[in-house]
Amino acid sequence: MSLALPSEVGGAVRRGLSPRTVIAALVLAAIIALALAAPLITPFDPLDQDLLALNQPPGAEHWLGTDHMGRDVFSRLVMGARTTLVVGFGGALVAFILGAGLGLVALSFGRAAETAMFALIDLVRAMPDVLLALLLIVALGAGAQPVMIALGIAFAPFFAYVARATFHREAVKDYVTAARLFGGGRLHVLRLHIAPNLVGGLITQAAILLPRCVVTESVLSFLGLGSSPDQPTWGRMVADASHYIETSPHAILAPVLAIVALTLSLSMIGDAVRRRLDPLRAADEAAL
Amino acid sequence: MKTVLHRLSPFAIALARMLVQATGIVVVVFLLARLVPGDAVDVKGLEGDLTAAQQVALRHELGLDRSVPEQLVAWSWRALKGDFGDSIRFGRPVSGMLGTALPTTLLFAALSFALGLGLALALAVGAVTTGNRVLRELVNLFSVWSIALPTFCVGVIGILVFSVWLGWLPVLGSMNLPVIIIGIDSAGVIVKPLHEELREAATSAHVRTARAKGLAPWRIALRHLLPTAVPVMLALSGLVLTSLVAGTLTMEVLFGLPGVGSLLLNAIHGRDYPVIQAAILVIAVALVVINAATDLLHRLIDPRMTS
Amino acid sequence: MTSLSLSRRTFLAGTAAVGLAGGLVPFQPRSALAAADPTRGGVLRYATLGLDTADPHRHTGSIAVQQIYAEALTSIGDDGAAAPFLAESFAVSPDGKTYTFTLREGVTFHNGDVMGADDVVANIIRVKDKVKGGWLASAMKLVETVTAQDARTVVIAMHEPYAPLVNLMSELWILSPKSPGWDDTITTPIGTGPFTFGTWQPKVKLTAPASPAYWRGGMPYLSAIEADLRDGADRQLALRAGEIDIASVPADIAKQLAKDPNLRVSQLKDAGWYFVAFNNRKPRPPFNDVRVRQALAYAIDKAAFINFASAGTGVVSNQMVGPGNLYFDDALFKADPHAKADLGKAKALLKEAGVDPSKETIEFVSWQESYPQVVVQMVRKLGFNVNHVALDDIGTQKRLGQYDWDMNCMSSGPRADIFLRYVRLMSDGPNPVLWGGIQDSAFDALVKKAVAETDLATRRQHYLDAWKMVMDNYYVVALGMDADQIVIRKGVEGYEPGFTWSPNRVDGGVAQTWLAGRS
Repeated sequence: MSLALPSEVGGAVRRGLSPRTVIAALVLAAIIALALAAPLITPFDPLDQDLLALNQPPGAEHWLGTDHMGRDVFSRLVMGARTTLVVGFGGALVAFILGAGLGLVALSFGRAAETAMFALIDLVRAMPDVLLALLLIVALGAGAQPVMIALGIAFAPFFAYVARATFHREAVKDYVTAARLFGGGRLHVLRLHIAPNLVGGLITQAAILLPRCVVTESVLSFLGLGSSPDQPTWGRMVADASHYIETSPHAILAPVLAIVALTLSLSMIGDAVRRRLDPLRAADEAAL
Repeated sequence: MKTVLHRLSPFAIALARMLVQATGIVVVVFLLARLVPGDAVDVKGLEGDLTAAQQVALRHELGLDRSVPEQLVAWSWRALKGDFGDSIRFGRPVSGMLGTALPTTLLFAALSFALGLGLALALAVGAVTTGNRVLRELVNLFSVWSIALPTFCVGVIGILVFSVWLGWLPVLGSMNLPVIIIGIDSAGVIVKPLHEELREAATSAHVRTARAKGLAPWRIALRHLLPTAVPVMLALSGLVLTSLVAGTLTMEVLFGLPGVGSLLLNAIHGRDYPVIQAAILVIAVALVVINAATDLLHRLIDPRMTS
Repeated sequence: MTSLSLSRRTFLAGTAAVGLAGGLVPFQPRSALAAADPTRGGVLRYATLGLDTADPHRHTGSIAVQQIYAEALTSIGDDGAAAPFLAESFAVSPDGKTYTFTLREGVTFHNGDVMGADDVVANIIRVKDKVKGGWLASAMKLVETVTAQDARTVVIAMHEPYAPLVNLMSELWILSPKSPGWDDTITTPIGTGPFTFGTWQPKVKLTAPASPAYWRGGMPYLSAIEADLRDGADRQLALRAGEIDIASVPADIAKQLAKDPNLRVSQLKDAGWYFVAFNNRKPRPPFNDVRVRQALAYAIDKAAFINFASAGTGVVSNQMVGPGNLYFDDALFKADPHAKADLGKAKALLKEAGVDPSKETIEFVSWQESYPQVVVQMVRKLGFNVNHVALDDIGTQKRLGQYDWDMNCMSSGPRADIFLRYVRLMSDGPNPVLWGGIQDSAFDALVKKAVAETDLATRRQHYLDAWKMVMDNYYVVALGMDADQIVIRKGVEGYEPGFTWSPNRVDGGVAQTWLAGRS
């Protein structure tokens, strides 16, 4: 694939950042900033109901209108960003720790452990993520934490695979062989020589998986398995508003556009990270 | 003789792998379903007002008081014989419920799958042969679309635009809109790798020769690119299948299609273990079998793979 | 903020005239519909409640589907009174202990067998012996003997007078004892209804073809009914697109649909009620203090709640029934201390009880509906923390049954008899979890006295006394009533919702429904 990077972007933009990536980063930064500053900038309490102003269209008082319970859509959107980001990013983090951790532990214990662990991981991988998350949530109970754990388990295999691939790629290289000849154990080799090489791959994988975690979180809360009912999450806002799609499309368009903006910017940034950290394998990874 | 065995062994390994995976999934699902607090007897007890003694009796009758491994073995043995037991909530044979739900899901999945592969192939081949900028951008757009646009969001917007604003499509039971949505989503999953693979093929010597000879683009596409594209597509179709499961589930819920996805979701809400297990078994086995089949097909078509 | 004006004008909760022997209403076929000649044929697509079991005797809760293939000796008419149905007439002895049902002639089951007194006796005995719990359990416990006096006469002798029996008999389904699964769980019910059981796909649909030999001459007009049994499918767009003919929808959706010229909105004639219940079986401090429960009741703005929950179609109440119902007491209603929210009083009560709401978290359970969130938010405004757990149907039942919660907000639909509302509050009542599992023997005694009372006015007073106990102890706080909204598509002729959810009854329903301009 082509490695040519646009050089005409200008001095303000560092080499390798396309305008698209910059815009994506700005959008993501804006969403994160809004989420962080949520309590300061929400004009209304996102749980407060004005039962005399249901399904109001956007206007001066309610910038994005109100929903079917008379709650301010903008305030809910901003507060919902918190849940979505925490659960989505948290899920990816759990997957990262679980996948890379278990993968490395298994690898350090030798061939048999590796085979056993990866048989299990293959199994998890064979289940479609939403299905697996659904089952886990039903087993663990609905809520933000179970969703995070479920996402973590469902996406952990990807990180484990990266760990294994890096391990085997590096393990045959001369310097590693040399280290082993000098009496370095599997664990020693792993820690000293392979772990540093792993970081790039794992970050790349995390960048690819983040938007998928966010999407899966919104699917689950859309199916009614997310956190408690009045806590705003974007997926639940879509589900709630879908019954009033005709009279108040704004209440559904706002969270849908928010989800799309977030996942879109995340995937573009993920793409950029992938190109930067691992330009040669970018194409292969896309097919993983 | 030896060469035949040599050629067959990958098939045997694939088959064994397939069996192990399917079994593993069933065990995992069985155990997870047992983690869920409250069983179907509780459900019945609360709805149908059974006394405590009757609940104990019913639990015994359904075998819910035996140890989990025992239940697993008993259930697997009967499942092997095609008997998934009765739905605890509805007292109907699970096989019958699956039987009525499967055609909808199969039809839906097959249509979406076909549309997805067809779209991806047409786009990728079109973009490579014509070198058209718009088509190339479309490849990117589809790819981004499938990553960034959750199907339920697209579904909701689709309902808003087509059913509410334009008044075109019927809402319940109609597959048109969900098939298109999942078709595009599936295409997006594979169109980019497919396109990249084809572009590599297009720079190969014989395609350049063909072009130099002045062959029409569509002939190049047909004769030189398709043979490359099909195996690649087969290899990628596993990815499509996984995303198809999630898509089918949300679309069945959103559009009220009475398929396996709806059946499964209802069963999860109703703690109807026999139905949950049977539905997951069917989905998992179907996935494993289709993956193995495409894998084998891929090996047959693409000789490079037999090594 | 303007004050909410709720009109009681359109709201008529039906007169639950009592199921006392008296009214031997003769059966009158479709008096109201003589104008146009019904068209024959066509499939009616009907979507209200679900169907949980193929065994009609085992179905509890609100029943809205099985009446199309299963019928009973009596039927609840539009006025809420029980009228003879498969029985041609019924009579009660002066001591209120012996009920005599005379069966209608020429009623056949779907398998062609003529319904005889032995069949009816077999059904009553099956329910008495096989079905524990449920609506009919307490009634069946009081049954001494059931006998077939002759081929057309069934006599039920009770241990003691039991006023609700005739109304309750409207949900004791008469099926052929030859129905498959009779000895255990019926899998294919063979009834007498205008449609046969047909094919059932749980949670998907029931396709019920017309019964050619239905006992009401010439009916049914439809060739089949397709009952949509899906949960949560969006009916709003389906109704507009003409994919469903009759459907129940939430009040706010009904309001939107009323604007569509192809649809009309109607209501069930009896109302359901909304309430807040506390955990009465295992209350934990501070909610075991009646002052705290009272304070919480003061925090609820009933008018705002019911206006939201019913989209302006309902009325505030402090009882299980609303204005217009025989068992409704106007004086009690006018004296309701919670007619208006009073946060000042609520806070004073909490102070008196020594409770700091900001240090307490209420475990609040509900279904996944919008209206409980209104109560949750009102309670939060009082200063409490609330952990709101919204679960699906089964999850809710399960959680409530664990009695590890503090408060809920629920609703309960129309019932064939007032007793069916009271029985849920009794110590050994069926499925009491929604009402927090009240255990109060004084309350039980009052309800039992009411049931055994043959004089209507006295009975009403016993019931009211029982309800006052519920109010004074703050076991359950009634918030208001609204009628379930039924949307009917243009071209559906001869259908109106009845008193309960039943789509087939003595004075209306699917037997006499026909589709204009479709066949």
